[in-house]
Amino acid sequence: MKYQNRPSTNMATQKSRMMHKIREYDFAIYETALFLDTHPNNSKALKYYSKLRAERNTLVTEFQKEFSPITIYGNMNESKWNWIKGPWPWEGDC
Amino acid sequence: MWIYEKKLQYPVKIKTPNPAAAKIIITQLGGPDGELNAAMRYLNQRYSMPLDVAKGALTDIGTEELAHLEMIGAIVYQLTRNLTPAQIKAAGFDAYFVDHTTGVYPQAAAGFPQTSANLQVKGDPITDLMENLAAEQKARTTYDNILRLMDDPDVCDPIKFLREREIVHFQRFGEREQSR
Repeated sequence: MKYQNRPSTNMATQKSRMMHKIREYDFAIYETALFLDTHPNNSKALKYYSKLRAERNTLVTEFQKEFSPITIYGNMNESKWNWIKGPWPWEGDC
Repeated sequence: MWIYEKKLQYPVKIKTPNPAAAKIIITQLGGPDGELNAAMRYLNQRYSMPLDVAKGALTDIGTEELAHLEMIGAIVYQLTRNLTPAQIKAAGFDAYFVDHTTGVYPQAAAGFPQTSANLQVKGDPITDLMENLAAEQKARTTYDNILRLMDDPDVCDPIKFLREREIVHFQRFGEREQSR
């Protein structure tokens, strides 16, 4: 039988999965940026950075629309200030 | 300026409180080789740094140290949640508790408050980059020592991540030194 990912109906699980993905992108981008800081003429690294950056931006826009803002520039809900809504990162959620 | 991102750089999810462990790990918040001193060292060295490549590394590594500061804060906070007076006394956490309750205060494991006396901004690019290479190794040793004293995988996992970052930062500062 073919293995299938069970589609989750749990919003919290979806949110944490998506945050996990964003965190992976951010780690790769930050690591590449530090490398580029000391190797600014490395075209391979710059190409990798550009690819990740575009994918990351799509993911973040989607996350902020669906769940909650990641920065104060990401409060997409025009009738509600979701920025202060917990749990906050140190509380074990993300 | 800086913008806050509402997430940890690497997740911290600790199930079992352990105030004795918190007392040790807090040293990476406000101790001599802690993340706060690392951030202050690099961000303040930038002004007298003449090279663009080094200004970039100091800015970005200094900023990442602030993210590490938050991870250590999260670890200390989660290790000291829901404590009973008996647990506080048994763990030897009472001396900290009487001054700070379970607030997260930047201090060394030995109890002295965070101080810039343990970092240097010399204003000389070679000296400052060498200072940073040593600083990354001192932080790496501190994380090694923390790992020697811990056995909870929930705690060791983020500590191992932080330890590895010291090695990457050492590498980047070393490249700065070579391509001068």
